[in-house]
Amino acid sequence: MAYFMVVLLDDKRMEKIKGTELEDKIQYMFGGELRCLNVEVSEELKDKILQEFDTARIDSRGAITDVPVAFMRELFNQVAEKKSLGPEVIEGVLAKVNEIKEMAAKESEYLPPPNIEV
Amino acid sequence: MSSLLIQRPLPHGGRLVERVIRDKEAAKKMIKGCPSYDIKPTLHYETGVPVRNVYREIMSICYGFFSPVEGSMKQAEVERILKERRLLNDWIFPYPLVFDISKEDYKKLGVGAGDRLVLNLKGKPFAILDIEEVWEIDNPEELAHKTFGTPEDNPEVVKERFNKKHPGWVIYRSLQPIVLAGKYTIINEPKFRPPFDRFWYPPRKAREEFDKRGWRTVICHQTRNVPHVGHEFLMKNAAYTGDVEPCHGILVNAIIGVKRRGDYPDEAIVEGHEAVNKGGYIKPERHLVSMCLWDMRYGNPLESLLHGIIRQNMGCTHHMFGRDHAAVGEYYDKWATQILWTKGIPSFGFPAPPTDVPYGLQIRPQNMREFSYCPTCKEMAYSETCGHKREKLSGSFLRGMVAEGVQPPSIIMRPEVYKVIVKWWKHFGYPFCNEKYVINKEKELEVDLEDL
Ligand SMILES: [Zn+2]
Repeated sequence: MAYFMVVLLDDKRMEKIKGTELEDKIQYMFGGELRCLNVEVSEELKDKILQEFDTARIDSRGAITDVPVAFMRELFNQVAEKKSLGPEVIEGVLAKVNEIKEMAAKESEYLPPPNIEV
Repeated sequence: MSSLLIQRPLPHGGRLVERVIRDKEAAKKMIKGCPSYDIKPTLHYETGVPVRNVYREIMSICYGFFSPVEGSMKQAEVERILKERRLLNDWIFPYPLVFDISKEDYKKLGVGAGDRLVLNLKGKPFAILDIEEVWEIDNPEELAHKTFGTPEDNPEVVKERFNKKHPGWVIYRSLQPIVLAGKYTIINEPKFRPPFDRFWYPPRKAREEFDKRGWRTVICHQTRNVPHVGHEFLMKNAAYTGDVEPCHGILVNAIIGVKRRGDYPDEAIVEGHEAVNKGGYIKPERHLVSMCLWDMRYGNPLESLLHGIIRQNMGCTHHMFGRDHAAVGEYYDKWATQILWTKGIPSFGFPAPPTDVPYGLQIRPQNMREFSYCPTCKEMAYSETCGHKREKLSGSFLRGMVAEGVQPPSIIMRPEVYKVIVKWWKHFGYPFCNEKYVINKEKELEVDLEDL
């Protein structure tokens, strides 16, 4: 089974990858309403992620989910910085695992709500 | 044609249990001179975290959700349930329900059979327990195993031995040893805090509301989740069932109780479902959101039986069941609920489905698979109909999107529902139940009480 992580692209993130080869790899889900990039994850890196983050799960499609938001933010940073979807992206994220865990600890207390009117 | 029409079923047991005293003067007289006890949450036997509050069972019993159960069960009744899932009056029922206290509290109270005990909640008199029997749970671990079944005793559906990773098993494992058995009566009606107050439809009120709306047939959707569009389509399509016409009503019944970290807050769940009808995705005349207090036991087929009982008592004619219904982990066969309702589970006391045994249920099961987006059909498509590759909507994928602050497209989650999530996110500082929410909820509960 191939594993992957989904990097969602909102307008702000689209700006940061504009003009790069990543643009050709954008996938459209839900009738084009959702843009994303899929980062492939090897068996070995998947095990590392599950080991480092006990909330992480693998859904029925093979997507790794439920990692800290800080992980997901760093994942996008790495994608944008390396302009790649290869293994060096996840490796880059895992290199900052302590920093991510520190931020994740605060995340269980508070997450900033989106600025929309309710 | 009238012979084709499905009539609203009687409550389970034939008569709705209602044990609520509304006359405060009468209530005061009833408790004069009686000993009292402050209801305590059931704490996890290892971690000490609250896993259950018996007040929710008292509410659901006294307002009739669990008819014909009237109180905390005697030892013989618990034993019969564990053997054949029947009450002493023969009506089917899945779980033992008991009022349990510690040996120290029992000694301090000095009560016995024939005594009336006043149960206080949040420092106010709430209910009475007329004690008929006092008995002891010698081995809570054995009780927990017998409650949910074992691979040896229930090979039809139990795949794995239950353990402390299962929240329902933990509830029974964590019970205190002394059981005070007898009928409960609420003597001081708690008031639900908003937003729960407007979703409180105990069985009598639910049936009256169905009459008002002209609903003869009603299908229930069980929930403990904020609805995404997949849920909405399940409801819309399940309601095509009925008799000579589709079900008149769709009742959403949310189970409100102890939460696990990562769940959506109960406030967002009930208001999120309401947003589906406020937004017109299902017209409000055909859709009603309600709730029932219960600390989920996650007993898949057994939970589905309780769900059938609750919703038949509320007046529903049909009930939607999906794969892994009310399940956690892989303890049960993922089709255990369907096995129960289509074939029966002999080792649980059901040689036939619960609708085909004496003293069984009348509510009809409606088995459902799932909806997901089909990019070819360009619509939410049913797994058993559409032959294309579809884009699955997993709950954890959606949770991740929400946590990242990305608004899901409206084909996944309606903007009105998302707004409800954000509303409660702003209120609690968090989109899901975190430790603070879980602890606070068990302290504050869903209700407040006035002085008697
Ligand atoms: Zn299709």
